[in-house]
Amino acid sequence: MNAQYKKGVLELCVLSLLKQRDCYGYEISDSLSKRIDIADGTVYPILRKLKSDGLLTTYLQEESGGPPRKYYSITKLGREIYERDRAEYLQFAQAIRTLLEDQPDDKA
Amino acid sequence: MTKHEFMERLTNALKRNGIEDISEIIDEYEQHFAFKMADGFCEAEIAAKLGDPLQLAAQFCGDAPKKAPAGKRVGAIARLCFTGFWAGVFFILLAAWDAVLAACSFGSLAVAAGLLGKLGTWQAIVPMPYGVATVFSAAMVTLCVLMSVGCVYFTAFFRQLIRVYGRFHRNTLSAAAGGPVLPPLAASPNFPPKARRRLRRVALVALCAFAVLTIWAILLAMITSGCLEFWHAWGWFGYAA
Repeated sequence: MNAQYKKGVLELCVLSLLKQRDCYGYEISDSLSKRIDIADGTVYPILRKLKSDGLLTTYLQEESGGPPRKYYSITKLGREIYERDRAEYLQFAQAIRTLLEDQPDDKA
Repeated sequence: MTKHEFMERLTNALKRNGIEDISEIIDEYEQHFAFKMADGFCEAEIAAKLGDPLQLAAQFCGDAPKKAPAGKRVGAIARLCFTGFWAGVFFILLAAWDAVLAACSFGSLAVAAGLLGKLGTWQAIVPMPYGVATVFSAAMVTLCVLMSVGCVYFTAFFRQLIRVYGRFHRNTLSAAAGGPVLPPLAASPNFPPKARRRLRRVALVALCAFAVLTIWAILLAMITSGCLEFWHAWGWFGYAA
């Protein structure tokens, strides 16, 4: 599938995961690459961009037997933008779906 | 590609692209390798799955916060002072209107209570038979309900306007500093649908009841007093009959 399609919605997917709970970078990369066919590395630039836009914050948390992990947490602004973009995307996807499925050739 | 090669290529590409805080980015990828290796993958597999370091480095471009010139910031603050002053005046006016609505609502209730309770003051100012007074006081109660709904809605509207202005304020400063600009907020208050429907129903019922009761009270007063200008007949507000 075209990589351009996916890139646009990955930010939305990351926000969706973080809306449920705080995660560290690898968790997000792992759970996304399990469901969507993307290069594992692409999640990190997205996390950094979302952070610099103020949609995410980070904090360090000690883990037993290891270096502290950097956790990402969604901000209030992040939630607001997520809700807006989610609604927009769902509407868009629904419209495209209807358009693509409604092929006269199929019926003929 | 080994982990070492991957990291070296990534670091070099990031440096070429002039990205700041490279160590932070490298840390994330180091951790990624650590987690994957704990799961039993070999370095070459992990590096292949991560993607091309050059392409990854390119994706980090364009997120660095841009430094805005100081003049732009001063200009933005000056503009905000100006708009802040006028917005402040406007908000005081709106708050005053909110207070007027609340006072009207309370006043209608006081009139209704006075008429119904045969309080001396009201008897002296607007004397009328008790039957007419009950209808008038019922009309006043519905007016009070109507005003209260108006007051609730207006307060919510006022609060939302302050939030809208706050967002504008934040966006102006943020844009001047080269930061992200957030979507503007809608000016209308966002009640939950249930509350909005309930408010609308209460307002409509109160409006209809107020109209019917007022007309009824006036007609009743005209019939009881036997003339069109019943306020003269009963000597309201000190008018001689």
